[in-house]
Amino acid sequence: MTIKPGDFVMPGDILHDLDNIKGITLIGPGLRQNTEPNSLIVSRAGFLCHKPANIYWIETAHKRYIPKKGDLVVGIVVKKSGDTLKVDIGGAELASLSLLAFEGATKKQKPDLLVGDAVYAKLLSAHREMEPELVCIDKYYKAGNLGPLSSDGFIITVLPSLVYRLLNIEHPLLRSLGKKFPFEIAIGMNGKIWFNSKSVKDTVTLMNCLFAAEQQSDKDIYELCKQ
Amino acid sequence: MSKLKELPVSNCEKKFIKKALSEWNRLDGRAFEEFRELKIEFGKDWGCCTVALGDTRVLAQVSCEVQQPKASRPSEGILNINLELTPLGAPNFEAGRQSELSVQLNRLLEKGLKDSKAVDLESLCIKVNEKVWMFRVDVNVLNHEGNILDAASIAALAALSHFRRPDVTFDGEEFIIHTYAQKDPIPTVIHHYPVCISYAVFENGEIILADPNLLEENVSDAQFTIGLNGYKEVCGMHLGGSAAMNIDTILKTSQSAARRAKTIIEEIKKYVEEDSTKRLNKEPVGLLLNLDIQNESSTDAHNKLSLCLDKWNKVKRKKKKVPAEIHELCGSIESLGKNSMALLPQETQGNEWIPSSDEEMDIIPGESDKQKHKGDIKMEGDSEEEEVLILNTTEQVKKRQKTRKED
Repeated sequence: MTIKPGDFVMPGDILHDLDNIKGITLIGPGLRQNTEPNSLIVSRAGFLCHKPANIYWIETAHKRYIPKKGDLVVGIVVKKSGDTLKVDIGGAELASLSLLAFEGATKKQKPDLLVGDAVYAKLLSAHREMEPELVCIDKYYKAGNLGPLSSDGFIITVLPSLVYRLLNIEHPLLRSLGKKFPFEIAIGMNGKIWFNSKSVKDTVTLMNCLFAAEQQSDKDIYELCKQ
Repeated sequence: MSKLKELPVSNCEKKFIKKALSEWNRLDGRAFEEFRELKIEFGKDWGCCTVALGDTRVLAQVSCEVQQPKASRPSEGILNINLELTPLGAPNFEAGRQSELSVQLNRLLEKGLKDSKAVDLESLCIKVNEKVWMFRVDVNVLNHEGNILDAASIAALAALSHFRRPDVTFDGEEFIIHTYAQKDPIPTVIHHYPVCISYAVFENGEIILADPNLLEENVSDAQFTIGLNGYKEVCGMHLGGSAAMNIDTILKTSQSAARRAKTIIEEIKKYVEEDSTKRLNKEPVGLLLNLDIQNESSTDAHNKLSLCLDKWNKVKRKKKKVPAEIHELCGSIESLGKNSMALLPQETQGNEWIPSSDEEMDIIPGESDKQKHKGDIKMEGDSEEEEVLILNTTEQVKKRQKTRKED
């Protein structure tokens, strides 16, 4: 039986007849090179995705986040020791965030962050054997949109697949919600989403909407937003 | 691998929940006194039961064994209750190690079921001082979404009342344990049905939430649990955390808990009955029969999303329709010719879910706004009813709605 893109695959399944450009096939998470030529072995259970011409990956509904360098994440401070904060970003290990890695922070003037506060930060380094490191400044030492998040909003955790979809600039969900009421949102690649709006009612609507969108296919969401 | 930490609760979540509660809102849209949907299913074996309380899921299995009785109670059987928290339920639960939480939950379950003498232990005696039945109830948490204790106590009780032990005969020399095929198994004698009802306490007892979910549980000042049976007898009480509750609130809460306990016990009895008739009629039984939940939830999500997005105004009305539907149940609909019907309400109100008005008063003293709000809900509910019935005169309905909105 041949496996087609969109099929559910299990670890150990082998893919044959791959599309390639000049003998090159690009693979994403959940796939590994097989010993025989021109075939791949699946290492994660999920749906096989294919983007023409030659990109393959597996989409899974995993809940744990695997840190990746350069990702923007929403984290929660769990420990404060000296000049560094330990931040929970949903991965296997806590990430460290230096208090000096904020815009305008000096030895004497550091941001006032408490345990339990939320931050929007960028992963500076993520290595398998080391703890991930976060920063709240870009390469020009400016905050950009990074930094502590207001304690007025609410944080939910969704599946990473929804995050990928929401981050697509053409995705209509947030835009059509924005027509209903104004809100602020910070989407972390780790599945944590922080948002805030003027009233409790709007925030709850936003929360329900995101949870509902989690279980919906993109096609349905596009259709609903078009109406 | 290092132990996975419990997911931390951020300050903004705490702040938001408290803010929402001060505006009489719960994040999942429930009323303060409202419980999550309860589902009870039985497995193929006797004494196997899963309970779903919202997203919290618990599996209980009863097993039995012949043992020597305790020396202090030679004519009584033994009942052991064992609740296990495995990583299946939540990533921070560790397998095979007793945590503070699991010890506490075990003790509360024991208090409810064992110490209240719910199961007739004397009927489990085979021969005094020599052989008695030992019942063991294993409770596993499959998914932790708050309020494990309620789900576990319901599961344990339902499993015990569903369980049947094999028959034993004694021919003077040796004991023969008959298989289920040889002789009909014997149901367990249960004197009364005690269940635990939990509440989350906020603001020193000023706000009390029934059946808290995980986040509410984490944010709350204290968790208040009452063990009760169908005769309103208290079989255990526990206040975890720190909150200064006054006696009045405790009494009020236990009143509503008693009502809840009664409905739960009726549910348990109903499901056990259903299952036994199914078995009598040789219909298929088991947990696998109800596995198409996935599809349901996806259509549910679709509806929810469409409500959130386009028909945002309708969300409000849909939610408020719920009390109206409950009213419907106690009335009857009579047709008055073409395109019109009349709803005839019944005099008797046997409804457990609508809290009586003076109770509402006691929970929020001097809060007449809430009272008014309640009234509104019912009114709107009725108007929704009208809208459904008179389909052709949409214009009129719209007009009416407009005037109501302006009001």
